[in-house]
Amino acid sequence: MAPPAVDPDRLRKELEAIVGPRRVSMRPVDLDTYARDMWPRLLLARRAGAPPAHLPYAVVWPESAREVASLVKRARALGVPIIPYGGGSGVCGGVVPVHGGVTLDLKRMQALRSVRGDELIADVEAGLSGERFERDLARRGFTFGNFPSSIYCSTVGGWLATRAAGQLSTKYGKVEDRVAGLTVVTGTGELIDTDGPSRALGGPSWTQLVLGSEGTLGVITSARLRLAPAPQLRVFRGFEVGSVAAGTEAIRRVLQRGLRPAVVRLYDELDTFLNSLKPGGGHGDGRDDRRQHAFAPAPLPGEGALPVLPGPPASDRDDGPLRRLLALGRRGSRGLRQDAMGALLSRPRAVNGLVGAVAEKLARKGCRLIIGLEGARIRTEIEAALTFAELERAGCKDLGEEPGKQWLAHRYAVSYKMSPAFRDGAFVDTMEVASSWEQLMDLYHSVRAAIGRHAVVMAHFSHAYPEGCSIYFTFAGHADDRAGSERLYDAIWRDGLEAATRVGGTISHHHGVGLLKGPYMFGEHREAMSLLHGLKRTLDPDDIMNPGKLGLVHPHAPEVDGSGGAGGPGGGGRP
Amino acid sequence: MTAALRADLEQALGAEHVAAEDAREWRVSPGAAAEVAEVVRIAGRHGAAIIPVGSASRAPRLRGVDRSRVMVSTRRLDQVIHLDETSLLCHVQAGLTGLGLEKVLTPRGLSIGDYPPSLLGSTLGGLVAVRTPGKSSARHGFFEDAVLGLSAVLADGRTVHTRAAPRRATGPDLARALCGSEGTLGLITSVVLRIHRRPEARFLAAFVLPGVDAAVAATYLALREEAATAGLRVLDAAEAAHWYGAAVCGDGEAVVVAATAGPTDLAACDRDLITSAVRAEGGRDADLALAETWWKRRHSAEPWPGPPPSFQLTATPARLCGAYHAVRGAVTAAGAAARVHLSRFDATGAVLFVTFVDPEAGPVATAPVLTGAREAAVRDAALTAARAAGGYLFGGRARELDPYLQALRAALDPDGLMNPGALVG
Ligand SMILES: Cc1cc2nc3c(=O)[nH]c(=O)nc-3n(C[C@H](O)[C@H](O)[C@H](O)COP(=O)(O)OP(=O)(O)OC[C@H]3O[C@@H](n4cnc5c(N)ncnc54)[C@H](O)[C@@H]3O)c2cc1C
Ligand SMILES: Cc1cc2nc3c(=O)[nH]c(=O)nc-3n(C[C@H](O)[C@H](O)[C@H](O)COP(=O)(O)OP(=O)(O)OC[C@H]3O[C@@H](n4cnc5c(N)ncnc54)[C@H](O)[C@@H]3O)c2cc1C
Repeated sequence: MAPPAVDPDRLRKELEAIVGPRRVSMRPVDLDTYARDMWPRLLLARRAGAPPAHLPYAVVWPESAREVASLVKRARALGVPIIPYGGGSGVCGGVVPVHGGVTLDLKRMQALRSVRGDELIADVEAGLSGERFERDLARRGFTFGNFPSSIYCSTVGGWLATRAAGQLSTKYGKVEDRVAGLTVVTGTGELIDTDGPSRALGGPSWTQLVLGSEGTLGVITSARLRLAPAPQLRVFRGFEVGSVAAGTEAIRRVLQRGLRPAVVRLYDELDTFLNSLKPGGGHGDGRDDRRQHAFAPAPLPGEGALPVLPGPPASDRDDGPLRRLLALGRRGSRGLRQDAMGALLSRPRAVNGLVGAVAEKLARKGCRLIIGLEGARIRTEIEAALTFAELERAGCKDLGEEPGKQWLAHRYAVSYKMSPAFRDGAFVDTMEVASSWEQLMDLYHSVRAAIGRHAVVMAHFSHAYPEGCSIYFTFAGHADDRAGSERLYDAIWRDGLEAATRVGGTISHHHGVGLLKGPYMFGEHREAMSLLHGLKRTLDPDDIMNPGKLGLVHPHAPEVDGSGGAGGPGGGGRP
Repeated sequence: MTAALRADLEQALGAEHVAAEDAREWRVSPGAAAEVAEVVRIAGRHGAAIIPVGSASRAPRLRGVDRSRVMVSTRRLDQVIHLDETSLLCHVQAGLTGLGLEKVLTPRGLSIGDYPPSLLGSTLGGLVAVRTPGKSSARHGFFEDAVLGLSAVLADGRTVHTRAAPRRATGPDLARALCGSEGTLGLITSVVLRIHRRPEARFLAAFVLPGVDAAVAATYLALREEAATAGLRVLDAAEAAHWYGAAVCGDGEAVVVAATAGPTDLAACDRDLITSAVRAEGGRDADLALAETWWKRRHSAEPWPGPPPSFQLTATPARLCGAYHAVRGAVTAAGAAARVHLSRFDATGAVLFVTFVDPEAGPVATAPVLTGAREAAVRDAALTAARAAGGYLFGGRARELDPYLQALRAALDPDGLMNPGALVG
């Protein structure tokens, strides 16, 4: 690791002069904690007992945009990088301090400053937790409409910095579709507002140029976000459809008729099969979620609004399809002992084929499709009827409300179930790509085949648009040791993302780039990277903002051991 | 030196596509994106300014541009490159006009969407290159939101393609650097646009409300119930009298005409939602013919009857009525009169179109009634009042961000070649 560019005592003094002694830490435990996010590759190292490859020099908890501005100015004067940190729930290594620096944890900036019902705009500080934001809005009769699975552990600023997407995105859009303006501290330490009143302003939209910049152009300190009235009605339904191709075609028809369900999720055969397994074995009957409902109180009589959030992801019984995927290795294969899963996951091609075949035979159900609508009562009722009729015309079989309700009850649980897999020596990750409808099946088959050479892979289609859709691949792999796991992990990403680029898909729909996808940014944007470089020079001329991310190479950085930030294509994004 | 520039341009494009406008200005019309890149490189070598020209609905800004100029017309870049009817995406060259594209789409049951038809005479490149609040549709959003990707030639002659994706999370939306940049960051050669199927059904409706405030309130009540409109216009009493005759509504009342479109049940639902909102605000049905007249004229190829609006303003939903009354008050105080309509309603606000009228002259004046200094004085008074009430004039910029815009220009175009007179001052 590169040594701090400045003397730690001096740095501490400089920082304390701005925020006082209690909101600066150089304690090893804090530096260690803030060295990583939820990028699975970092967990491989951690599991092997390796210390973080990169530590921040200090962690600071600012409480106002003014403090952030002063901190950035100071860091700039000292030539020290700044790394914004929200919930640390990112899955691409976006907060890893590859060139050292000062990590700014923004969670003390969490005021919901105003909610204007007449304008449908909330002014909110960046560090507010997603869950608290939506709960506060729900109490006042509004929603922002962004419900990522990570809503309990991510911040509004993190969403905006990564262009996050929630489970209801097909109606409400991704976060970037709902932003009226941002307050940003740029890399020069200046505070700017990007609002355009009704877009009356000429010139490019700075809002859209900062959204998704993952801390590389500045620190988002607050935002004006567009709200919707809280839904009065929510309607959920499950369908069955013969194949992935038939399912995506049905979704396309719904969207292109101008209908906007909030939730659209189509599971491919393997995903459907694993979803249909009850945690203890056999097939689910959909009745195992009574307790979940206890967290999600029914609407009061006469009061339309359904609860916006269920309780915490507190299921100790349902581990979701991921867990079942892994359990399959142990339970389903007679005679295999402790390392059964390892053995299974080491032969992914066989498993992908086998499980596919088993799934087909066992279920003969094709694919599961979950559709949910919500919104104003009258219009939602009509839109739901039209949507369901269109799906049936497209060959989908109506399974009634139960599958939809079940999904609703468990929707935050699945993603938190990765740790058992890691405990058992395997790894699990997700790859979310997207394309237009014309290329979607190519994208699905190419990426699935590319990952399938190395790992067991399943997929679902969510976040649908009139012009295309995203695909969310979940994969589980296994190797004997850390080095082997990392090699395998990197190969999966290399082959998967290169396949996506080859068929014209994008390498990320909503998780962002961070360190993981940096090496593939040139393939994604080609010459248009010069626009990104132009923005970087404009907003962060000294390259102190989260250097080494988004495929932007830190020019004066000392060579940091094996840094993925400066890696070329195929580097696999090593931390 | 200027002769050398001309020779290079003629060699690259053929003499027939290079015309001298004056001693220091040439108008060129490249026929392919690669030729645009060549023109930009040539201009760069000669230190000449590059000024993109679409359908020239507005005169180029040349103030302070003290060098040779190459006016690059996109006129010949008018082809549809790829029409993807599966994804409802259309890759088109920048010089095609909206109307030109509609001609290709209509026979296939497709359309650009419910954008104000008056916009569609502009080139698609020009529509994307200039941001104004009028370029919006309640059902289909702002025009720039329909851009999923674009190709552009930068000052160094490099061509960038931002690849189309429904959405992505791979850094900032780089296409948005070009949208609204008015040719200062690059010359847009093609765009990938979202298109739509023609709606299955369309319904029209017309109402009279107790006033502009009630009409605006009814509109937002309906929008909150998620009613989507294909067009909605609020006319104050003077404006309604101008179009429909003085008998259509009483003094101080307002007329609303609306269109909804989509799957039949949904379009009917949207119309009914608007109707109930109007009733809730004390409104009543008006003759449907009002809406039919409006819709027909809106879509006709005939030139706009009467003088263009004296000025346009925009405001957010909560400020619309305040801005309206401020303008009215200021105009009256200045001893003049005006008629006003509001349209382009969506969640972000609406646009007010203000036209000065001669209270003595009856409703059919076709020429501007106020001219010269008098016009300017009344307009200034109205704008000052409107601004104080939270209204915004079109075409402004966030001055505080100018240094960043200039820095971005300098980063991409160090020699200041791309439309140097635009977006300054
Ligand atoms: C279990 C789980 C489920 C998930 N589900 C989803 C999902 O459904 N949808 C989805 O989109 N993502 C999902 N994610 C990914 C992650 O939650 C998102 O990327 C989220 O937006 C990150 O927010 P955060 O506050 O945790 O940001 P962090 O991880 O702290 O930071 C992410 C990046 O943004 C930068 N950043 C953070 N805050 C700011 C700021 N204020 N200004 C500038 N830059 C900033 C950081 O430097 C970093 O580069 C999931 C992650 C997990 C672990
Ligand atoms: C301040 C202002 C306010 C306006 N307000 C309205 C309004 O309220 N309602 C309305 O309907 N129209 C309005 N317009 C007109 C607007 O210019 C047109 O709607 C349209 O955007 C211009 O299209 P055009 O093809 O005529 O382009 P032109 O008038 O030829 O060019 C417009 C600008 O865009 C640049 N440009 C043109 N083509 C390209 C290209 N391919 N690549 C890069 N740059 C290019 C030009 O250099 C010029 O700076 C306004 C224009 C301006 C400048």
